[in-house]
Amino acid sequence: MSEPAAETDRVTALVGGDAGALARAISDVERRTDAGRTILAGIRPHVGAARVIGVTGVPGAGKSTLISRYVAALRRAGRRVGIVAIDPSSPLSGGAVLGDRIRMAEHGTDSGVFVRSLASRGHAGGLAPTATHVVDLMDAAGWDRIIVETVGAGQGEIDIADAADVRVVVCAPGLGDDVQALKAGILEIADVLVVNKADLPGADRTAGQLEAMLALRTRAPRDVAVCKTTATSGDGIDALTGIIEARIAATDPRRMRTPQRMRRLLASAAGNLLGRELRESDAPWLLEICETLQRGEIDLESAAQRVLHARGISHE
Amino acid sequence: MTAQVHAPARVLVTKLGLDGHDRGSRVVAAFLRDAGMEVIYTSPWQDVGAVVQLALQEDVDVIGISSLATDHLLVPKLTEALSQAGLGHVRVVVGGIVPDNDEDMLIEAGVSRVFHPGSTRDDIVASIDRLACDARRDRDGAG
Amino acid sequence: MSRQPVQIPLPGFEAARARWQDAYRRQVGDEKIRRNRSGVEVRPLYTPQDWNGERYLDDLGFPGEAPMTRGIYPSMHRGRSWSQRQLIGLGTPRDYNARLNRILDAGGSAVSLIPCNSVYRGYDADEVDPLLLGTCGAVVNTVDDMDTCFDGVDIGSLSTAMNDPLPFTLLALLLAVAKRRGVPWSKITGTSNQSDYISHFVANHMFFRIALPGSRRILVDHIDFAARHLPGWNPLSVVGQHMQQAGATPAEAMALTLSTAVQYAQDCIARGMDPDTFLPRFTFFFDISISFFEEIAKMRAGRRIWCRVVRERFGASDPRAWRFKFHGQTSGVDLTRQQPLNNIARVTAQAMAGIFGGLQSLHTDSYDEVLSVPTEDAARIAVSTQNILREEAYLTDVIDPLGGSYYVERLTDDMEEEILAVMKRIEDAGGMYRAVESGLVQSMIGASALAFQEQVESGEQTIVGVNAYQVDEDPDTRVALARPAPEIMQAQLDTLARYKRERALKPVQRALDALARSTADGRENVFENVVEAAIAGATHGEIVSTLRQEMGFGEPLVQV
Repeated sequence: MSEPAAETDRVTALVGGDAGALARAISDVERRTDAGRTILAGIRPHVGAARVIGVTGVPGAGKSTLISRYVAALRRAGRRVGIVAIDPSSPLSGGAVLGDRIRMAEHGTDSGVFVRSLASRGHAGGLAPTATHVVDLMDAAGWDRIIVETVGAGQGEIDIADAADVRVVVCAPGLGDDVQALKAGILEIADVLVVNKADLPGADRTAGQLEAMLALRTRAPRDVAVCKTTATSGDGIDALTGIIEARIAATDPRRMRTPQRMRRLLASAAGNLLGRELRESDAPWLLEICETLQRGEIDLESAAQRVLHARGISHE
Repeated sequence: MTAQVHAPARVLVTKLGLDGHDRGSRVVAAFLRDAGMEVIYTSPWQDVGAVVQLALQEDVDVIGISSLATDHLLVPKLTEALSQAGLGHVRVVVGGIVPDNDEDMLIEAGVSRVFHPGSTRDDIVASIDRLACDARRDRDGAG
Repeated sequence: MSRQPVQIPLPGFEAARARWQDAYRRQVGDEKIRRNRSGVEVRPLYTPQDWNGERYLDDLGFPGEAPMTRGIYPSMHRGRSWSQRQLIGLGTPRDYNARLNRILDAGGSAVSLIPCNSVYRGYDADEVDPLLLGTCGAVVNTVDDMDTCFDGVDIGSLSTAMNDPLPFTLLALLLAVAKRRGVPWSKITGTSNQSDYISHFVANHMFFRIALPGSRRILVDHIDFAARHLPGWNPLSVVGQHMQQAGATPAEAMALTLSTAVQYAQDCIARGMDPDTFLPRFTFFFDISISFFEEIAKMRAGRRIWCRVVRERFGASDPRAWRFKFHGQTSGVDLTRQQPLNNIARVTAQAMAGIFGGLQSLHTDSYDEVLSVPTEDAARIAVSTQNILREEAYLTDVIDPLGGSYYVERLTDDMEEEILAVMKRIEDAGGMYRAVESGLVQSMIGASALAFQEQVESGEQTIVGVNAYQVDEDPDTRVALARPAPEIMQAQLDTLARYKRERALKPVQRALDALARSTADGRENVFENVVEAAIAGATHGEIVSTLRQEMGFGEPLVQV
């Protein structure tokens, strides 16, 4: 049984800047322990100061080097930077190699940078809720710029983007049809599109292609910035930092995390919880619907509607 | 406390000192991943201070140091620094070429196990799994 | 595609083969297909239908003539044998000098300089933890250190293999010593043994000091400088050893090495250099594993492919440019810590493979190599092994003695096919530089390393003493690590401090500034500036750190 007093102490330590307390709290939250839930509740008054920057992109675009440079720029500006680095888990073993640290060597002994690596699987409630909880913990612990880095274009990664204030997508010239390779979903959510490795030929062409794609949007155009960087030399990093900060400064965070985005996040999180229950529960009403489906007496959609109805969620 | 049973062990695989060869540590990292663990893998030439900060932030259970030449001589500095940082529960193992006359010195300095060339995958995985459980138990028991 | 042998009419052959096959099956039963490390199938028997000499001139030719399969010189080892270069490096320059003099007194004329790991990593002795100093090589940081290493030795009459990664500060210090002593640079002979930055990057080697684009520039500058000022120096050794030790199969190691050489040749051509001028200075360095026949075939195939590539792709017309000159070292990866004396047998098999493969020079590992720096006794056995093979077993008396063997020729063809397939993958990825930048090569090698380990784990690959034929060994018989006494290293540090205090600082600063500026100026030769800095009194660590600051610290691409 968890002791409320112990958790209170842990919340106090975390909020007071104890990095070890933050690290252990993240572990609890990842593992969905009772202590973790208590701590999450306990930190609510301290959440809200941090701004969240989501970064994703195609492999080979130099995303990690770019982030390392961006972090250096933030540090020069006096920010305390948290990073949540998400890597895919093996679908077979559930294990993972979390390698993003390799590019963070630049900041390895800087206590003003806190890096936590997360594996994408093994989160019963889904990746997005776990990641947002980790972000909340870092927020409460006083980290004022939090970068969430994901590897690619899975649904989980797109969901996480909804939790960010500014969403950055990184690509590079010469990665084949990299512009087409970016799934439409990712491009749709970007606030800033970065063409890294701008020293390579084709950088201007890639930037041009991105701008053309943005201009072709039939929806109301959002103000999306396209910029070029060369992370290895540092060119363009200050400009990128400026663009991101401008976005952060321009709007009230509550307005940035729009109701639509919150609803999407909620749908994803609730959907994951419901999904887990449906997969694991032995409730008779559920088993009956399954058998009806198995015997071919109803189609899948009708079965799903019966499930929602049984749970009190009406759906036309 | 209802901790999730079988939450994957978190293992840091890294190198201190001057050598860069990491064929062995890459293979071990792959074995550990395939055994269901979360492996945080770094480039070689890490500083003791950086390893300690990493171990703290990532809440690792075990640190595996891959060593060639004389780099293992830096490991006692690591175990000392881990203690100082309140990470005494973290278990440290060393793999690679460690002359026999140094193995005792390492164990005395707090290293849990030295894996010599020829160690099997099953032995390495089982050892690290057990050590991770021990580390977690010590960590949770203390706080 | 694999050459198919010319079918020659052999009356009665099929019937005879069928008879043998029956008898074989009756004795052996059903068998799994066996493959060598490169994945090539290996059958129990080979016949003229697998290979025959109908196309002798096209497939093999004579030694010294295209396609060079049988050897790069008409006489090979009968005309000129090699002597084992003694690898030396331990502790201080004074220690190195003592061992060097002993070797020269005993009649050697080819030496190697192995620096300390701290030097390899690009640092001066005062920049690293003292615990790590001088255990694996000599601490050489300054022109005085280099002078001491060669005290009493005529550097103009010696051939030095300089184990000196980019930016080649040790060579620069040697040239500074030559200038000091009035020895003309034209007499400085040897090889930049560790000039292959691509292999360092791939293998995560400590030798990788400067980021890829900077390394690329400096290597071509170095080759250019050597062409103009160092007629006796081989500026490039393309190293397959690192990749094979990192887990590449023999075919992959050869393919990746050839692809690397192609990349470097293209970079030189892009700089305006003439293939007939720089190609003769390309040398290669391979690991020799214990997969005996596979290694022989790998080397023969490599010779044939390179000859074709330089003629067809680069239009080299000077036959000296067609020669695939390589040094081989027996692979330390195959040696075991368990029952170490067994390693003598392993090294013997590896050495034989190298000799039959037609290498130009050979280094045999000591049996205790896997434990630490070899003892003198073990080093002596390693040299004796070579002498025995040459002078008692007469293995070098016949050029390419396995030429014409149905198996070896067929295997050479099959290995060539594997090698070309990997080379094509690299081509398709945009060439070797881009392939390593993107991690493609590292993935390939990592997969092979894992596959090999699985075979060892499952017992499919036997390693005597490790996963088979194990015994309990007495730990007291193990070798201890030799370490220099702390006072000696302290004295070295004091010497370094004194050197830095007493030298004229202005010339050093000017030279380092010029070096820094040269990195941004495409018309400058960066290596030339490295040499100037060494002459002006800059230390090894100062030169490397200047270049790291300007061109980027070399970070390996890490992936599991």
